[in-house]
Amino acid sequence: MSNSQAPAPLSSLEYHVLLALANGPLYGYALKEAIVEESGGALTPRAGSLYRVLARLMGWGFVEETAPTSPPEPHPGLERKYYALTRRGRDALREEAARLREAAVLAERRLGLAADEAR
Amino acid sequence: MRLLFAVALRAFPRAFRERFGAGMLDVMLADYDRARTRGRVQACVFVVATVLDAFAQGVCERIEPTWIDPEARARARRWQVKAVLEAWKRDFAFAARSLARAPGFTLVVVLTLALAIGANTAIFSVVKAVLLEPLPFPNADRLVHIGGTAPGTDLPEALGVPDELYFEYRESVPALEDLGLYGTGSSTTRVDDQVEQLFMTRATPSFFTTLGARPLLGRLPTDEDDESVVVLSHWMWQTWFGSDPAVVGRSYTFARETRTVIGVMGPEFRFPDERVAFWIALPIRAAQVTPGGFGPNVVARMAPGTKIAGLTAQLEPLPRRVQERLGGPAPYARIMERYRPIVTPLREHMVGKVARPLWILLGAVGIIFVIACANVANLFAVRAESRRRDLAVRRALGAGRGGLVRVQMAEALLLAVGGGIGGALIAWAGVPLLIRAAPDAVAGGFGSAPIPGLAEAGLDTTVLLFNAGASLLAACAFGLVPALRSSGAGLLASLRQSGRGVIGRATFTRDALVVVQIASAVVLLVGSALLVRSFWRLSNVDPGFDTEGIFTFQVAPDREFEDKAALSRFQYAFMDRLAAIPGVESVGFVTTLPLDEGAAEVFVTTPRLEASGAEPPPVRYAGAGGAYFQTMGIELLSGRYFERVEEEQGIPNVIISKSAAELLYPGEDPIGQQIRPVGVGGGDTWYTVIGVVEDVLLDDLRRESPEPMVYLPAVAGSPAYVVKSARADRLAPEVRAVIKEVIPESPMYRVFTMERLAANAMASLSFTMLMLIIAATLALILGAVGLYGVLSYRVERRTPEIGVRIALGAEGRVVRRMVVMQGGRVALVGVVVGVIAALGLTRFIETLLFGVEPLDAGTFAGMAIVMVAVALLASYIPALRASRVDPVVALRAE
Repeated sequence: MSNSQAPAPLSSLEYHVLLALANGPLYGYALKEAIVEESGGALTPRAGSLYRVLARLMGWGFVEETAPTSPPEPHPGLERKYYALTRRGRDALREEAARLREAAVLAERRLGLAADEAR
Repeated sequence: MRLLFAVALRAFPRAFRERFGAGMLDVMLADYDRARTRGRVQACVFVVATVLDAFAQGVCERIEPTWIDPEARARARRWQVKAVLEAWKRDFAFAARSLARAPGFTLVVVLTLALAIGANTAIFSVVKAVLLEPLPFPNADRLVHIGGTAPGTDLPEALGVPDELYFEYRESVPALEDLGLYGTGSSTTRVDDQVEQLFMTRATPSFFTTLGARPLLGRLPTDEDDESVVVLSHWMWQTWFGSDPAVVGRSYTFARETRTVIGVMGPEFRFPDERVAFWIALPIRAAQVTPGGFGPNVVARMAPGTKIAGLTAQLEPLPRRVQERLGGPAPYARIMERYRPIVTPLREHMVGKVARPLWILLGAVGIIFVIACANVANLFAVRAESRRRDLAVRRALGAGRGGLVRVQMAEALLLAVGGGIGGALIAWAGVPLLIRAAPDAVAGGFGSAPIPGLAEAGLDTTVLLFNAGASLLAACAFGLVPALRSSGAGLLASLRQSGRGVIGRATFTRDALVVVQIASAVVLLVGSALLVRSFWRLSNVDPGFDTEGIFTFQVAPDREFEDKAALSRFQYAFMDRLAAIPGVESVGFVTTLPLDEGAAEVFVTTPRLEASGAEPPPVRYAGAGGAYFQTMGIELLSGRYFERVEEEQGIPNVIISKSAAELLYPGEDPIGQQIRPVGVGGGDTWYTVIGVVEDVLLDDLRRESPEPMVYLPAVAGSPAYVVKSARADRLAPEVRAVIKEVIPESPMYRVFTMERLAANAMASLSFTMLMLIIAATLALILGAVGLYGVLSYRVERRTPEIGVRIALGAEGRVVRRMVVMQGGRVALVGVVVGVIAALGLTRFIETLLFGVEPLDAGTFAGMAIVMVAVALLASYIPALRASRVDPVVALRAE
């Protein structure tokens, strides 16, 4: 099936969803809050975008629905669904982080080099 | 606001909404609450952006879905699986239809396969139960039976282990982890009103530890127990005591004495065989052993890593060492000097002689299987040949080779499944018949041990898997090659050709298949013919006594007698009652019946031997009385029979056999001579020889020279009575009534006719023979059918050519000869191959043969001729058809 094949690299929203869930299972709004915080406000996904990414990650087998680890805080309305990172998701996050680090290292080296030449 | 958001979310596909809708709404409302705290404008901007985003994402999701719910995904997968199944279903439906259009072909193939697979499944189920199922003991591979033999001493070939040697084994053989001594026998057992003669075992406590036995109830004997404790078998516990657990601790009469039940074994513990009703503790102490009893058996557990040969090497020096230490009389010394321990894996010891016939049978049905597959392959090849054009058209229309193979394999599989089901049914019905026909199951009494595990034979998962495997193998064997062949290269070429097929490689294949069939049939024919000849020879062996019209049974008197005269008086009075039964001609008794128990051995001496200082030779002996010799038809050569008056007075007379007379009194008239058994019964009594009778074969019809035999009067014990009557097979109820009246406490047992005992003595041979005859007949028929089929097909293919020949003036005779010769050539090759194979294979049945060599030229030639004759007959029918070809019809078809 076409959507069971995960592309490398991940989009930055996909990356941040995995990153946020790496800390433990979260429900939708908490996930969104974590993403906003961890991206330094660069990413403020709206519900539609967030959930489509979530659905895609579930299709790839990176994220699964789960029971909350601690008793959920009291909340009016429907019962909240919690999402957690799967083993595959963890691996994917690790790979993506390594890729980003390489890219960052490359960037720093180049910037460093440029500075030397200027001197 | 909630409503607005919910409407926006309608843009998403339903599956997505059902799954995430609530979550998205939750996030939207929470964000909205947050936005409102920053002012009304901010809230408005937020609502517009969020609704737009939801709408846009919803549309995107419809165009390029990120979420497919698992149910839908499974539905999609099912569709894929369904498609594959559809394709197979189509193929199978097509195959089923085309098979239904050829009912003759289908029926022949399914029946052939069912027979072959059924025979294999049935025999395999027996082989599995008897030979492959592990013994029900822990680490059974380390268990061995230890016996012995003393060649050149005239003792029976198979000996046990005397007590003194058992202790030597215990103490000085490191390769033995544990060993137990046991002896078997039968004795009267009484529980409340039930009295019966039961098979029992006396066993040392180590017997149980060696086998790793655990009781179901109670405990097992220990070294502290004496002979007054018994352990019950599971079957006796069930049938005699109604599975009452309270039986442990109670006392009953076992083997004529009051003994206490201390334990009950589980149903799986049936050693030495399943007849055992109970085990009596046999405490033996090294200090109290009387040397020279060669009866008991030893079961031992080898230390891990020990090999049989290594163990035997460790045991071998011990008999001599024991003899040197103990001394003992000269005959004992001579036996111990020649005594050789024999170590056998326990299974081999238990299964004994049946293993060989079973493997032979499995081999025979394996051959049948090959023949059947060859036959079906041939039929299939012919069918595929005639469908070449059909297949070629399919290929030309774009069908892949795999598809073509699949279509044909579907047919093969369908037929194999039919054959497999039929085979399972045949096995299901046949296994009970097989069990009933098997040797040793005939006696049922105490005569011979039943085949261990045979009763458990039946269709279980393994056997059914075997059946399925055989069917699949058959399908591949007969289906795959023709399928690959007829769908392969050159297929399209046949489109261009006319209806006349290619003769060449395909013809060769079919001929080769017929050669295989005929060769296999020849092997089975030769094997069964050798067995038939052996059987015939063995049936005509004169055992020295009659077997017709003699009823026999054993009964032990229920009291002790003060002397031999009293015993004789009782026996004659009892026999008087038996003789009074209508239709009884004569009655006699003997302590050991020929063909049943053999006879015990005793050393005898004569005045002449004593004077010369020679060692007393061993002879067989039995107590006999009444009209034993007359009843059994044992001829009196000189002198006279025992007389009642003498016996009732206890006069020591003796009758000896012809070979005993030759051994003891060479060149003299034995009548009136003196003889003294050493160490048995009478002690120092000298007996007078009053008669010489014909030799008899005691326990084995195959024995070439009879053993010397001495008949003593009035030997105590439980004799076998022989009753001569035309109604021998119906006498049991009347005899039972007499016993009930005269000795009500004594059970009647070992009830046979001599005819049945004689049949039993040949059971192993007759069973194998019967099975091989069936196999050979099947093989012959299948081989003939195969040849017939191939020739018929070839005649059909050559009809135009034959038509031309006839049109050109060839006579019918010439055409017939041409076709028959063709069949004959194939058959001849098959016969030659078969004879060569049989030359190598008949040695496997050598031990069953009697009076005929495994390479008997007459049998080989005879069976070769039979096969050729049948082959020519099978060729003649197509030949006849060929000679009647109407040239006009044949050529018009061209």
